[in-house]
Amino acid sequence: MQIEGWRFPNWLWYALIGIFLWGLWGFLSKVGAEAANPLQLQILFTLGMLPVACAMLLRTGTKLERNHGGIIYGLLCGIATGVGTLGYYAALRTQAASVVTPVTGLFPVLTVVLAFVLLRERLNKVQMAGMLLALASVVILSI
Amino acid sequence: MLHWMVYAGIAIAMWGLNGLFMKLGTNRISAHSMVIWVTLGFLLLLPFLWAETGLAGLNARVIFVGLLGGAVNGLGNWAVFACLEKGAKASVAIPLTALYPLCTIVLATVFLNERPNAVQWLGIGLALAGGAMLSYETAPVAEREEQLHCAQ
Repeated sequence: MQIEGWRFPNWLWYALIGIFLWGLWGFLSKVGAEAANPLQLQILFTLGMLPVACAMLLRTGTKLERNHGGIIYGLLCGIATGVGTLGYYAALRTQAASVVTPVTGLFPVLTVVLAFVLLRERLNKVQMAGMLLALASVVILSI
Repeated sequence: MLHWMVYAGIAIAMWGLNGLFMKLGTNRISAHSMVIWVTLGFLLLLPFLWAETGLAGLNARVIFVGLLGGAVNGLGNWAVFACLEKGAKASVAIPLTALYPLCTIVLATVFLNERPNAVQWLGIGLALAGGAMLSYETAPVAEREEQLHCAQ
């Protein structure tokens, strides 16, 4: 696709596919949460993800790095994501996906705060404004 | 049962913590290796989940939907990963992909007949904008200097 010197960047297709697939995951999670409990959904989620993760790994042919810190943080990533997903599925049992998904999508609030406190990363103005909007949205949606 | 916002808070806390672990992990090993260890982290949870519950009582449709959810999420991870590999700047691509709840909202209102009220729509709009803005990271100094050099 080409419009007067502007070319639709290749990476944007992948970003749009990612947005669609993650959005579809939120939708499917709500459908599943109607009948399955969060633990059952998480088991199915993990089993469903495995073939894709294996295909990704085989395709990239990565030589596995074994830095101890990297291993620990990698494992912690998987555990934290898994436990967080349990919370997401539990929230979906009583509230609409169109409300829960934007709220849980605010997780960067904590990442930004932790990176600021523990890693001494500085917050930019856009992130500060985003934090205010995020807090306002949580208050409004809690009503 | 607790208020849904408590469970959503657990998701925010754990996924937010994951973002920090991700930063710390990729400072030490490549993103590709990280994928392997993260997947193993997921697997570590499985025995605990199995000990608490099984899949008995679930019909084939729910099992299919659950498995499909996992596959779709994994493919979404691959797409975002590929997006960054194809040259997208993380400061642009990550806030963009943080808009994925927009897609869930469209699907849920069309296919599940969800009808948020006016106040909830306001909250949803603020959450979407806030989520995207929070994911915005300015380019690293080296990258900015390179851009400046190129512009000159």
